[in-house]
Amino acid sequence: MAQTKNQPDLHTPGGFNARIDNGMGAMLGRLTRDRSVVRMLVLLVAAFAFFTLLRPSIFLNPLNLENIAVSAPEIGILAIAMMLAMLTGGIDLSVVAIANFTAITITTLYAGLAAGNPGQANSLLPLILLLGLALAAVAGWFNGFLIGVVGITPILATLATMQILNGIAVVWTGGQTLYGAPEALSVIAKTTIVGVPVLFLFFLLIAVVVAVLVNVTPLGLKLQLQGANPVAARYSGIGSRRVLTSTYVTSGLLGGLAGIVFIARNPTASADYGSSYVLLVIVIAVLGGTNPAGGFATVAGVVLATLTLQVVSSGFNALRLSAYEYSIAQGVILIAVMIADQMRFRSRRRKRDLQPPVPAAPETQGKS
Amino acid sequence: MSDTRTLSRAGGLARFKGANNEGVLALVLVVLIIGMTIISPSFFSVGTFFAILRSSIVPLVFALAVLIVIISGGIDVSFAAIAIFAAYTAVKLTGSGNFDPGLIAIVLFACLIGALLGLVNGAVIARFRLSTLIVTLGTQGIFRGLLVAYIGSRYIADLPGSMSAVSTSNLISLEGGGANAYLHVLVVPVVLLCVLVALMLRKTMFGRGIYALGGDMEAARRAGFSVVRIQIALYVLAGVLAALAGVFHVILGRNANPQDLVGTELDIIAAVVLGGASIFGGRGSVLGTVLGVLLVQLINNSLILVGVPTAWQRTAVGVLLVIGVGIQAISAKRESKRVLVNDEVKE
Repeated sequence: MAQTKNQPDLHTPGGFNARIDNGMGAMLGRLTRDRSVVRMLVLLVAAFAFFTLLRPSIFLNPLNLENIAVSAPEIGILAIAMMLAMLTGGIDLSVVAIANFTAITITTLYAGLAAGNPGQANSLLPLILLLGLALAAVAGWFNGFLIGVVGITPILATLATMQILNGIAVVWTGGQTLYGAPEALSVIAKTTIVGVPVLFLFFLLIAVVVAVLVNVTPLGLKLQLQGANPVAARYSGIGSRRVLTSTYVTSGLLGGLAGIVFIARNPTASADYGSSYVLLVIVIAVLGGTNPAGGFATVAGVVLATLTLQVVSSGFNALRLSAYEYSIAQGVILIAVMIADQMRFRSRRRKRDLQPPVPAAPETQGKS
Repeated sequence: MSDTRTLSRAGGLARFKGANNEGVLALVLVVLIIGMTIISPSFFSVGTFFAILRSSIVPLVFALAVLIVIISGGIDVSFAAIAIFAAYTAVKLTGSGNFDPGLIAIVLFACLIGALLGLVNGAVIARFRLSTLIVTLGTQGIFRGLLVAYIGSRYIADLPGSMSAVSTSNLISLEGGGANAYLHVLVVPVVLLCVLVALMLRKTMFGRGIYALGGDMEAARRAGFSVVRIQIALYVLAGVLAALAGVFHVILGRNANPQDLVGTELDIIAAVVLGGASIFGGRGSVLGTVLGVLLVQLINNSLILVGVPTAWQRTAVGVLLVIGVGIQAISAKRESKRVLVNDEVKE
């Protein structure tokens, strides 16, 4: 980022060297940036190959592959929401609750209308979906308000929101599963384009939009700075209130979209659907290279991590291992990745400490 | 610094307020009790009081474990998994009720398992300096998975004789007049544990080390505390406390169900934070925690009495958390502003 500001004179020999230096620096920077993505790609291929070798007939079955593609989106969207919160140094424990709340709202409204007049319910469907998303955004805004304005720690604020929404959802549904979600959504979810389920394409679309938001827009840059160093961000004139509020509104909206995917995939809604997702989503975000302390994350890494965990999950199914064994695997993966990251960070720091400070900064060379 | 200033200005009030707003919490409790008594006079009875105490037994022991971790600047979400792992395994090893090694042996065995699982948490956290929330989320999944996948997924209905004997013994039984009141005997070890943990936190070097760790880890290290050792020890202790809570839960419920307890973590954390413990570490007291747990239990109990469906409990705890932590956050903001002004004047 800094290199572009500091364009050296290309016609002098020193300037040429500096340009090469800058180019190398940028490339090295991109390599470390992409390292988590490359690692995820390797892990994904390895996991895929492992289960293919063990159970080729079950695992490579087109139905199984389609299953992976259809079940990944809801978890992936939630993981991207979690990633955004972690990018600012926070965490969003309420995403799953927001998703369920949205799913319940949409199902109740639609079922209520469809009981009287099915045609009208279908024509109002877009409006109902928007209303559900609006509620999700309001819940996200509430998180942002608690964190940015009141100053509550993200863990506690989103924990409280989760409890409140979950409680309302339990009361609303009476603890039962609701039926009668919009059929149009299920129809859309079942269609495929060139063999790829629409839901999966929807997931990729959301990933691209969030990637653009994080990497290209000013808000994305502010988000990263806020996570990397909140004090420096404040002194750079970044209004943490607005940044945090927009972050949590976005993660709330993503939660709402995940809720729509819930009912599209499975036309029922209940208050405790996906109660194990909170752990899973954090595992995915961290595995995808998100720094839980803030400041660093890649959407591509999170997408690949989602796919990897879905491959592991369906591989476990193919091997007839239980959900509990999958939860052990999740825990082990989470801790192993964190330890590996920490070791690499430490060894790099040690190397740097041992070396004499030889490498001159490109900026000074450019000036000379 | 600001503490002494407020003390000199309004000594009595500040002392009542307490270091972690214990006084305010006690006041809220009293107001709530008076309010409930006005709404439904049947509320104010020894029976209700004993019932609330009984329902606080397990949460309170959990809360002590969480308190220690939170004071040290961490957060633990694996304690419920440790509790049911330890208690269920201990019961299972007694041959599902056929062989009875005695209550003390069962409790000790459960504590040993709790300590081992706590050691896993502590070792990973202290050795690699990882985020405590994420490590314990991971170990929660591992412990629970190991328990259900390899140790047992079946619900055990008949406990060993020594355990079921405790289930039915009461410390105080008041009968007659149509309203019976029983105070369960397990209240005794819980009170004992509270006193022990409070003494440990206040009077021992280890306890002060936990506060120091939560205040500033680097400062604690430079002050000569062995950070790694303290951190490992405190997670082992939290594991033991969690195992005890698990055993109490099994005794009170008269069955051992591997699906129990997990999922209640956040309620406990909410109660501890309401009790004045700072999520950033370095602040918190046993008294505040006891009051926080009692407040949550009282509210749950009152909701039932007023006729609010129990499903609202989750929401009520959430709202309570927002109010409690929100007030703390706003007053902390004000405090930091005041300190800033002071510094400028001095220089």
